[in-house]
Amino acid sequence: MKTTKIGPKPRSFQDLIFILQHYWSEHGCVILQPYDMEVGAGTFHTATFLRAIGPEPWSAAYVQPSRRPTDGRYGQNPFRVQHYYQFQVLIKPSPPDFQELYLDSLRSLGFDPRINDVRFVEDNWESPTLGAWGLGWEVWLNGMEISQFTYFQQVGGLECRPVSGEITYGLERLAMYLQDVDNMFDLVWTEGPQGRVSYGDVFLQNEIEQSKYNFDYANVPVLLRNFDEHEQACNDLLAARLALPAYEQVLKASHIFNLLDARRAISVTERARFILRVRTLSRAVAQAYYASREALGFPMLRGAGASANVAASMEGALAVDQARA
Amino acid sequence: MTASVPRARIERRDLLVELGTEELPPKALRVLEQALADGLRTRLTQAGLVVAAIESFATPRRLAVHIRRLAVRPPDQLIKRRGPPLRASFDAAGAPTRAATAFADSCGVALEALGREHDVKGNEYLYFEGIKTGTATVTLLPGLLQQTLDALPTPRRMRWGAGDAQFVRPVHWLVLLFGREVVPASMLGVEAGSVSFGHRFMAPKALHIASPAGYAKALLTRGKVIAAFDARRENIRAQVEQLAAGLAGRAIVGDGLLDEVTALVEWPVALTGQFEPRFLALPREVLIATLQEHQRYFAVENDAGLMPWFITISNIDSPDPDVVRAGNERVVRPRLADAAFFWEQDRRQPLAERRLALDGVTFHDKLGSLGARTDRIGVLASAIAAHIGADGGETARAAQLAKCDLLTAMVGEFPELQGCMGRYYALADGEAPRVADAIRDHYLPRAAGDALPASGVGDAVALGDKLDTLAGIFASGQKPSGTRDPFGLRRAAIGVLRIILEHRLELNLIELIDRAVRLQQIAGIDAAAAGVSADIYDFVLERARAQYLERAADNGISTEMFDAVLATRPASLLDFDARLRALVGFVARPEGLSLAAANRRIANILRKSEPAAASLQPQPVVRELLREEAERELHDALLAMRAQVQEAVTAQTYARALDLLAGLKPAVDGFFDRVLVNDPEAALRNNRLALLAELRALFTGIADLSRLPG
Repeated sequence: MKTTKIGPKPRSFQDLIFILQHYWSEHGCVILQPYDMEVGAGTFHTATFLRAIGPEPWSAAYVQPSRRPTDGRYGQNPFRVQHYYQFQVLIKPSPPDFQELYLDSLRSLGFDPRINDVRFVEDNWESPTLGAWGLGWEVWLNGMEISQFTYFQQVGGLECRPVSGEITYGLERLAMYLQDVDNMFDLVWTEGPQGRVSYGDVFLQNEIEQSKYNFDYANVPVLLRNFDEHEQACNDLLAARLALPAYEQVLKASHIFNLLDARRAISVTERARFILRVRTLSRAVAQAYYASREALGFPMLRGAGASANVAASMEGALAVDQARA
Repeated sequence: MTASVPRARIERRDLLVELGTEELPPKALRVLEQALADGLRTRLTQAGLVVAAIESFATPRRLAVHIRRLAVRPPDQLIKRRGPPLRASFDAAGAPTRAATAFADSCGVALEALGREHDVKGNEYLYFEGIKTGTATVTLLPGLLQQTLDALPTPRRMRWGAGDAQFVRPVHWLVLLFGREVVPASMLGVEAGSVSFGHRFMAPKALHIASPAGYAKALLTRGKVIAAFDARRENIRAQVEQLAAGLAGRAIVGDGLLDEVTALVEWPVALTGQFEPRFLALPREVLIATLQEHQRYFAVENDAGLMPWFITISNIDSPDPDVVRAGNERVVRPRLADAAFFWEQDRRQPLAERRLALDGVTFHDKLGSLGARTDRIGVLASAIAAHIGADGGETARAAQLAKCDLLTAMVGEFPELQGCMGRYYALADGEAPRVADAIRDHYLPRAAGDALPASGVGDAVALGDKLDTLAGIFASGQKPSGTRDPFGLRRAAIGVLRIILEHRLELNLIELIDRAVRLQQIAGIDAAAAGVSADIYDFVLERARAQYLERAADNGISTEMFDAVLATRPASLLDFDARLRALVGFVARPEGLSLAAANRRIANILRKSEPAAASLQPQPVVRELLREEAERELHDALLAMRAQVQEAVTAQTYARALDLLAGLKPAVDGFFDRVLVNDPEAALRNNRLALLAELRALFTGIADLSRLPG
């Protein structure tokens, strides 16, 4: 059986990212940059949430800074933070050797599964706000959860056909293990001519200040109002059949909901209602996105003659929009 | 009509089915293994094949079944069929009709090959007798296997890639061998073959399986997989116990944990790890929960308590086990540090101070807050305490504190420690020990065979908790249907039964249920209360039936006896129990069955004459209208013992009451032998019906004997 040979351990946090990017690039993924908005996880990136919808094939990998306001600890906790990195891989359709591909990525990071105890332990995933669920595992490395591995079954309320496979690496955890440190802020980000730069040098002040904002300063009445506004904006954009901008309004609303949660401004029953409101939006966006790709003839299917047709229909769409303007 | 045709020699071969998958859910693994084996056995048997020896296997990456000596085809069937009548088979000209040719076709023979048969009336029919050769097993197998796989009980099936196949997890290979030959088949997106795979890392190469009988050994020696679940489980237990002994301790090996760990590995290797001894200051349950629930480690203890060690089961025979050990130690440290932080943090606020915050936590959107629920439990618990002689003050306090630990950080992290943490925190706050114990105990019993609350205070709060759950969920129209029981109402009902019966608590269950229902803050509840309460009573008693019948071999109770008592709807479960046990003794004696038959007869007579009987119900028997001697004798006998029977019933000495009633047998027999109830004269008839009604009322004061089988 052909397997990647065991690579040298990445020495720094950024090396870890480079190796993963390189590995997944070698395996055909589009290497993307983070989505430039506040999101709770790599799943919210359009390259996952929207691209998992519909029949078009897609492979992408990227780092996604993720914000979880309630997880902030003012920089006091060695491994709990309100802002961290995920490395996300999405491949549609999920390849038959998806698990092997993942294991090879561990080998490329210097983990030999012949020496280490690597396990796939059932952990099914469900996102109430995204109207999405999938089945899969958390991956254990010597008892530590280092990744999530999921076969998407439904996204935005739509059945996934084909199924996308998603891998999410917890970069800080992996790095802490690789560098054998107990405090995330002690991680070596890189060693350069100006000396060692730690994770704390990069993020500690941000962690402290953002925790204060999340827990103590975020303006609840303003956030509540903003939530309503983004909800409205999303619906307006959906009416204009602009799926991608509408989706950004969902991201805004979702992050605001998380902030309100951190401020403990939402009671239990209200909480369920907020989640339902976000889910309603993401479902509508998912359908709008599907419809928009369908209208374009699902360009990435690249069937015979599809490209030309798509180009034509895209031009048509643009012409209509210009005429409207 | 069919029958097996005896055959001299049948060729038999072993069958092997192995489905290779990505890692299966550990808690479902045994169920899947069993269902695959049972499903195949059932379907093969239905196809006429004898399945004598069947062995099943299950690991995270495979489900397998080995059946020994399966016949290569089911036995031939002797077929006998009667066709259409002869007169409908040929027309006037003697030409065969459609009915005749269709019958011949369905038998697979020419019309001329059919015989003739007469029935008892002398009618003549077309007749077929032949031998149906069984379809070859190898041909049957793919269909039977597919049906079995489709019917596996699995909570959620998934799809993967671009295919349409659905299974618990993606499927990678199928070994399907009948003898040494591959059965041609294709299912779940894979082609059947003879190639399996061993351990993911220790034996990654393709593994050819030469014969079904050599399967387990091939996996063990070449594949580094212990395929049989039980063998792997015992192997793990032995390793764990040996390592614990090496630490001069004992491992805490719960069945649930052992099963789960067994379902997570193919090649178990036990390793010990250490944690800082300072964490031993945490409550024992917290340490065990951290080690077991989060990490699936086995805790180790000696006579002094838990030790700062754990045993983990890895899935690899690592050339450098220290890497695995060190990794696991790294993981458990922050987990325990978290738990220690919660333990410190939670104790800074007394439990009682959290009570108010429960008002802001929704219990259920139709049933209000946890605070409201707490108050309802308090009302019920206090009422119960007053009846069973438990301390009222302590009961009220325990009820108020019972749910407060749900707001602690520790229970937030370890929901399974609810109650247990409440007890620790209450003790830390200086609450009375019995109050603290009752907080823990009010969740009891959690499962079959679980302990019951340790005190009357615990009983009172536990009953209040369960009755409120039953009342709330029934009142909001969500009573369980089929196997769905999301609120654990069956468990709650069994808890009520066990506490009352095993602790011998004399309580009016009907009143308590009614009280619990009326406490629900649901619009219009008072109007609906009677119906809801009756439903709950029936629901609880149905669980009682199941509990009694489970032990029918010991207690001699039958479902009819249960129905006989249930018909009287006793308010107290102890009273119910007493009636039931008296009935067992009564049925065993000779008069028992005969009087039961008499009761059925009376019930029938009264039912048929219902309008009349109903109108004369309040009327007593008129002595002067009793014309026959036999009816006067019955009346005398009745009057002679009525007071005594009623006295015995009041004293709940039902055996005595039934004993007295058994003495009526001669009089009852005499009545039915010599008296015609349906006298043409209405006054006489109605008087006799009144006599029977009185007689029956005396019996049904104990149990409705008419429900006993004849």
